[in-house]
Amino acid sequence: MSAFLRLLGWEVRHLGRDGQAWLVCGALLAAAVLAIGVGDRRLARHRTEIAGLPAHYAAQMASVAKEFTPRGEAGYVAYYTFFPTHHPMPPLAGLSVGVRDIVPNVTWVRLLGIEGQLYEADLGNPALQALGTFDLAFVFCALAPLGLLVLVHDALTRERESGRFPLLAAQGSSLGALLAARVGVRALTVALTCTIAFGLACAWLRVPPAADALGWLAGVWAQLAAWAGLAALIAVVTRTPAASLAVALTVWIVQGVLLPALLNLGLASALPVSEGLELTVRQRQESHAAWDKPRAETMGKFFVHNPDWSGTPPVTGRFAWKWYYAMHQVADESVAAESAAYVRNLRRRQDVTALLAWLVPPAYAQLLLNQRAGTDLDSHLAYLDRVRAFHAELRAYFYPLCFADATLAPADYAAFPQFRGVAAPPPSGLSIWPLLLLTLGTSALTAFTLRRSAAT
Amino acid sequence: MHALLTIARAEWRLHLRRRGFWLLLGLFAALVVAAGALNRTRQVRERAQQLAFQQLVRAQWEGQPDRHPHRVSHYGTFAFKPPGPLAVFDPGVDSFSGRVQYLEAHRQNAANFPAAGELSSAFRLGELSLAFLLQTVLPLVVIVLGCRTFVDERESGRFRLLAGQGVSARALALGKLGGLVAATAPFLALGLGAAGVASLADPAFRADSEAWTRLGVIGASFGLYAVAWLGLTIWVSGQARTAARACAGLVALWLAAVVIVPRVAAVVADARHPLPDKSSFAAAVAAETKAHGDAHDPNDPHFARFRADTLARYGVKRVEDLPVNYGGLLMAKGEELSAQTFARHFAALGDKMQAQSAVLDRAAVVAPFLAVRALSATAAGTDLRAQLRFQREAEAYRFDFVQRLNALHRDAVRFENDRDQKLAADHWKGFPDFRADPLPLREALAGTGLAWSALALWAALPLAALARRKRWAA
Repeated sequence: MSAFLRLLGWEVRHLGRDGQAWLVCGALLAAAVLAIGVGDRRLARHRTEIAGLPAHYAAQMASVAKEFTPRGEAGYVAYYTFFPTHHPMPPLAGLSVGVRDIVPNVTWVRLLGIEGQLYEADLGNPALQALGTFDLAFVFCALAPLGLLVLVHDALTRERESGRFPLLAAQGSSLGALLAARVGVRALTVALTCTIAFGLACAWLRVPPAADALGWLAGVWAQLAAWAGLAALIAVVTRTPAASLAVALTVWIVQGVLLPALLNLGLASALPVSEGLELTVRQRQESHAAWDKPRAETMGKFFVHNPDWSGTPPVTGRFAWKWYYAMHQVADESVAAESAAYVRNLRRRQDVTALLAWLVPPAYAQLLLNQRAGTDLDSHLAYLDRVRAFHAELRAYFYPLCFADATLAPADYAAFPQFRGVAAPPPSGLSIWPLLLLTLGTSALTAFTLRRSAAT
Repeated sequence: MHALLTIARAEWRLHLRRRGFWLLLGLFAALVVAAGALNRTRQVRERAQQLAFQQLVRAQWEGQPDRHPHRVSHYGTFAFKPPGPLAVFDPGVDSFSGRVQYLEAHRQNAANFPAAGELSSAFRLGELSLAFLLQTVLPLVVIVLGCRTFVDERESGRFRLLAGQGVSARALALGKLGGLVAATAPFLALGLGAAGVASLADPAFRADSEAWTRLGVIGASFGLYAVAWLGLTIWVSGQARTAARACAGLVALWLAAVVIVPRVAAVVADARHPLPDKSSFAAAVAAETKAHGDAHDPNDPHFARFRADTLARYGVKRVEDLPVNYGGLLMAKGEELSAQTFARHFAALGDKMQAQSAVLDRAAVVAPFLAVRALSATAAGTDLRAQLRFQREAEAYRFDFVQRLNALHRDAVRFENDRDQKLAADHWKGFPDFRADPLPLREALAGTGLAWSALALWAALPLAALARRKRWAA
């Protein structure tokens, strides 16, 4: 054991004198600082947007009040009142942005049919979005593994080149110890650099040191462990430093660039999702068709799912707000199946991606980090569910007013329901064990190969 | 000259004899086939789906019963983004931009359902396409094939031999380059050939009169891009002391130019020209529209003037005495004012996005990847400008059909009991369909001078350095 410790000490000292190691860690830290700065800006902008919502809402209500002074029909007031809903970014979202810069984090909804209001795109520039993101997750999932490979790939081939290898191999067990010490020390150095960057990010972005932040960091470590296992394997199976470098770079490019790209294209081709468009077109058709049908027919459909209102007096005349909103709800109900199928298919895409990503550690790690930061597609779908729930609240509030043909004075607007932003639900689902399993597998394979090569 | 050709031929034969070359070519071919086939399948399906929705929406439009024209303008319609002529080759911004826009009276909606919003977050790691292969993987192929070229000669001592035979350093460098060009050509040809084959069956490609010119422009830009990497590789190989160093240095260059600089450039572009958030944008549009007054409100003060002017123009005292329906006039006026507001705000937004793209173009001077990316998407008709143009044309179409309906409202609906009247269903059948042709190539390429210059610069510099080389340090 003490021999191994001596070996470790030697490796640490050797690493301290290795200019390349300093360069790799320094570059990683520099990239991390830039990424954290970008994340900070993103969070700041997001918070400014959300902080501005009450003012926008107040301005809107002031102009509604001007229009409906002294009183206005409740249905009419509701028609012109958009309610802001928002999906707050947790501080961790500054570390891995996921899809949050593509999907809208703020959605304004009104009492009309909800299905037509949920899927509006955000204002982002697609040309920038298509280039990819520069966040801490990118630094940790793409650049840090590359740094690790650069430091570890020639752990043994260096000895082969210098001619010490036969000597070491003759000592049998010490070859494994040397590899373990070298890979361990170097991988830990990269992990430590990432941890320092993470600590910096937590301080800078005020990430509370709670379980979810540590879980995020655990994901980063597990991913680096998987890469360390791969790097050790590369060090063992190659014969010259040039070959180890070539193999290491190839593995990095295949795993980090080609396979994720192929995976994305394959999934988008194999699992098409068309329900979004379908439900949008259907919903519009249904909600407008009611204008040309007897009012009682629409009300009858409405009462099927909303029996509480079935005893109310029939609609007489050309227009009544209760009929207008009933028609919108009936249209929503008519596309309920498509809407559910849409969400189900999106979730299935997520699940299949996560499953296939077992074979692509960078993609798996990216998914895991996004999920733990509350920035994956699932968290957006959960937000849409909360918007739906809020819309149901709006209906519960305004229907009694519309069915009573009530009027509202501007003073009444203060009682309107408001969306309460809830933090993203606790992360669940993806665990780090596929990454650890991969680490174990590659380590075992490394040990096996090493024993065989030492024997020959 | 003779020596140069001999060296080029020898270098080329050397590549052909290497097992690694054929392995690489096989792998690249497999990727090309996968990218071409999968993208084509997906495009064909999405095309068919879009066509089906277009036909459904048209059938729904024509199937409308007798309706009041203003009811019809609220019913609205949808505009679907026509695919770029070479979207199979380069999807460009398509995955990140909205594909369908709901068009209705009084509002300009955003384009919805970008594909990226429907995919897992791993999508941000990239999407395989033929353009992606040529932009990202082809430089790596060049590096792998070429990084040892010179170092090998020097390490084996053959260089002295050649120098002794009177071969000039320039002939050696250019000869090596020639051999490498020949070895790389099959890769480029595979990618571009697959683009042609995959696109041939694409109706969007066949419908475009400039399709082959577009492919030619794409070929030219990728040719320059390849030359840039070829020259760079030979040059670095001539400078480096060992093959491993040459390889590592070139891969570091690739990492900077293809992975890091583009993302950092996107960050800088976003910081230099921030877009407004959606709520502020919508609030600004709403405030300005409000300032015009509400055409639906008969007592709106802003429209009182319009009423006075209209009455004066027709020489009558009351709106009831007008020869046309005042309601239709009022709606048309309101739509005109709000459409001007939308146009101004969306144009300002588009200008900001273009300014962001201009930052990327400037960064292309450092990273030729950005230059070839911009040119490829532009020629394929899948760039930001194509998207903005779709949104503009959809808005123009919206304004046009709403104003046609307002004209019907003005001429065919009486002023008394306006809202209780309906027009016969066959009025809707004469409305034209939404059509958007791709931006003509000449216009699309108008703003690409900087990108071409950046590519040309990167292609020319290493070549010039090689051609000027008098002797090699042995």
